[in-house]
Amino acid sequence: MDFAAIKDELAKILSKDKLLTEELDLMYYSYDSSFFTQMEPSVPQAVVFPTSTEEVQKVVRFAYENNINIIPRGAGTGETGGCIAVNGGIVLDLSKWDEIVEIDARNMQVIVRPGVIHARLNEELSPFNLFFPPDPGSSQMCTIGGMVANNASGLRAVKYGTTEQYVLGLEVVTPTGDIIYTGGMQARCIKNVSGLNLTKLMIGSEGVLGIITQIRLRCWPKPKARGIAMAVFDQLDDAPATVLDVYKAGILPSGIEILDSSAIKAVNEFKPEINLPNCEAILLFEVDGNPPSVDYEGRQIKEIADRRARSVEWATDPQRMAQLWEGRSVTASAASRVRADGTRVFAGEDVSVPLSKVADTLRAIRALGEKYGIQVVNYGHIGDGNVHTAPVINPEIPAEVERVMKLVDEIHHLAIAMQGSTTGEHGVGVVRRPYAKQEHGQAVEYMQKTKAAFDPKGIMNPGKLF
Amino acid sequence: MEFKELPPVKEQIMKCVRCGKCRSVCPTFAEIKDETAAPRGHVFMVGMLRDGKVEPTEDVYKRLSNCLMCETCSVNCPSGIDIHELNAAARSYIYDKNPSVGKELVFDTMWTRPGLLKNSVRLMWFAQKSGLQKLGRTIGITKLLPGDLPKAEKILTDVPYRAAKNQLGEVNPAQGEKKYRVGYFLGCATNLLNPEVAKATVEVLTHNGCEVIIPKDIKCCGLPHIANGKMETARQLAAHNVKLFNSYDCDYIISDCASCSSAISHKNIEFLLGGLKIEDQAFEFADKTMDLTKFLIEVLDVEPPANPKAKKIRVTYHDPCHLANAQGIKEEPRELLRRIPGVELIEMKDANRCCGGSGTFSLTHYDMSMKILDKKMDNAMMTGATKLATCCPSCMMQLRFGANRNNWDAEVVHPVVLLAECYKKTPALKV
Repeated sequence: MDFAAIKDELAKILSKDKLLTEELDLMYYSYDSSFFTQMEPSVPQAVVFPTSTEEVQKVVRFAYENNINIIPRGAGTGETGGCIAVNGGIVLDLSKWDEIVEIDARNMQVIVRPGVIHARLNEELSPFNLFFPPDPGSSQMCTIGGMVANNASGLRAVKYGTTEQYVLGLEVVTPTGDIIYTGGMQARCIKNVSGLNLTKLMIGSEGVLGIITQIRLRCWPKPKARGIAMAVFDQLDDAPATVLDVYKAGILPSGIEILDSSAIKAVNEFKPEINLPNCEAILLFEVDGNPPSVDYEGRQIKEIADRRARSVEWATDPQRMAQLWEGRSVTASAASRVRADGTRVFAGEDVSVPLSKVADTLRAIRALGEKYGIQVVNYGHIGDGNVHTAPVINPEIPAEVERVMKLVDEIHHLAIAMQGSTTGEHGVGVVRRPYAKQEHGQAVEYMQKTKAAFDPKGIMNPGKLF
Repeated sequence: MEFKELPPVKEQIMKCVRCGKCRSVCPTFAEIKDETAAPRGHVFMVGMLRDGKVEPTEDVYKRLSNCLMCETCSVNCPSGIDIHELNAAARSYIYDKNPSVGKELVFDTMWTRPGLLKNSVRLMWFAQKSGLQKLGRTIGITKLLPGDLPKAEKILTDVPYRAAKNQLGEVNPAQGEKKYRVGYFLGCATNLLNPEVAKATVEVLTHNGCEVIIPKDIKCCGLPHIANGKMETARQLAAHNVKLFNSYDCDYIISDCASCSSAISHKNIEFLLGGLKIEDQAFEFADKTMDLTKFLIEVLDVEPPANPKAKKIRVTYHDPCHLANAQGIKEEPRELLRRIPGVELIEMKDANRCCGGSGTFSLTHYDMSMKILDKKMDNAMMTGATKLATCCPSCMMQLRFGANRNNWDAEVVHPVVLLAECYKKTPALKV
């Protein structure tokens, strides 16, 4: 079907304000946060903004009947090209569909449409003394739909796990245009083992199996108190060693984050008032719970960290805690500040390795940076072995681009060699697809068969995952 | 300088990692909610323009102009990109390729000549007072105005008859011992629309030992020109003002208008005149500039006379974008208000969120501007204040319209006007 015909047909399904077809508008949908789309943007044939399940269903049925690709998109904050029409098609921008359908406080659940922003959800839950624990660095801008589709997590996964632990059920429009309800979408129970677990299958499926149109989430009671310990290290290796010491002492912080010397520099450049000390590495331990337990665990962590650290700051002042936490959460984009004529690129940024190999991995990544002559900023969720690496380059210099691609490839292979994974939370999308066979072997064929069962024509977000 | 060679265009576009942080803070994006209005989208489009992948057409201009130039994205950008400067540079580039007669008339002819601008405002006053404006609205003549102006012209209410410059002298001597010679950058809007603010500024400054110079030939600060793609005109205006003020040998150059004080700030003067022949003179000028509120607190440390009988007034404060975002001045106006006897300062939610006025934005994007304004008014009215203070004539105009539209009888006022009232009954100490 040609472009003009697609445009005409979509105009019959959706009102004018829910449709973009002018070429200039479509260009804005050629990117996400990935370096891949910075280098190779792909322009879709149309962008639609459905705000009801029926509208999604109509668009999907039209696409299915006419063999047109459908690419779901949230806020476009992904780092893998996952929401990009790499083979053309219709982008379904779900970020305008941001209704909180129901807060069922007594059953500790909330039902949301896919476009709800993470930070807003927690603001709305707060008066009920509830919260949705996963805490991505992109909390202010990412959507819950995107979080589910990528099984996102973030700074508090150490204690609270990833998005999948909180999804009770989903409403999904399948690639053939059916509307299905998975798990407990239409129930209100918390435990539910009835049937094949299609909810888990959909979570992290990156839009290749269907469009998530409604989400029932489990919420947790909001902790009453919180504190942050900042430990300052002169030796990089002492940081991961201290993490293991804390676990050995029987303490489970809600978050453990690392910033290396470059990341510290970047944060201080962005927000000088945060004033992180210059050193080889900083660990941020967040503990939450009841006031006495927070106090006890904070003191314990301080005592343990003091053995290896140059100094440890224990903060319970809300303003200081907010500063430290913000410093960490903005590192991803602030990393660019370490080089005046450069920028950090989102590539090779999300490896996950065993806790016992974090120190080796950090050292190896630094060595790879030196090998390719590229500055790397390391930070991330060290508490669960999820290391974020930010190579800083000048993307307008082709030789640097070539070198960074080699660096990234080696980082991905390194992660697999360390018995880890190429991605801990950002997903596969286009950019980590080449490693699927190496990571999953024959299981990839079963993934493909599963997709074919849902999507016989292969129209749903093709070119991603495997 | 060629578009591609402008420092922000050359150096900053590649810094955008498209993290989307800007989506979470942009007031325009909050209304439009699609990527074409996201600040990172604007950065992307400026990059496309720079690389010649899109032509500098009015269609591109239209998309880039879905931006208040409030700078909220720039101050929140983790990569440190001056997104508003990129946007302004691109608008100017497109404008140069697609000149428009209407804009030439407004920005090159009228808004560069203080006399002509004053006469236009006089005409507006006459139209309002004679009932012509009402008649025009009734018979629909105002609908013939271009763009959103037919709807937006009603924002322009209550134009005073006498401009500030007609009421104030060029040299206003200090009362008591002279501490500083202060150049007063009297902006167009304060001069023509809010002369009471200008008079209060001069009263407060002279009362606190400043000799206040108001050069006769001040021209517009150039900010409306930057926002509307007239960068070259903005440069010429800035160069004129630099030379003019430098000839007075002032200790400080202040403005009570947030937009003007940001336009004459070092950062903006560098953006306009950096690298040009006039650079040294421009920096000599810019090193002396300061917003009035900062000058009153940091330099003069004003302390209005105690007045136990002062009537209690509940005041809420709206941060003008050009003060809070462009210059990081948030605390000084609040501190000034707190020092005024009787004032109880009540913070509104999102005090630093744009009111949607943004200079000419409310005139060119009326509907969007009203959506943003209504959110602001909801937050302001929740405070129960009887006065809504702010430091920008464009915000004042917009907020007055907002109060009117919401039947809220709070007075919109510049803090310096409240401060000046404290001095009225207290003569300066003679040394």
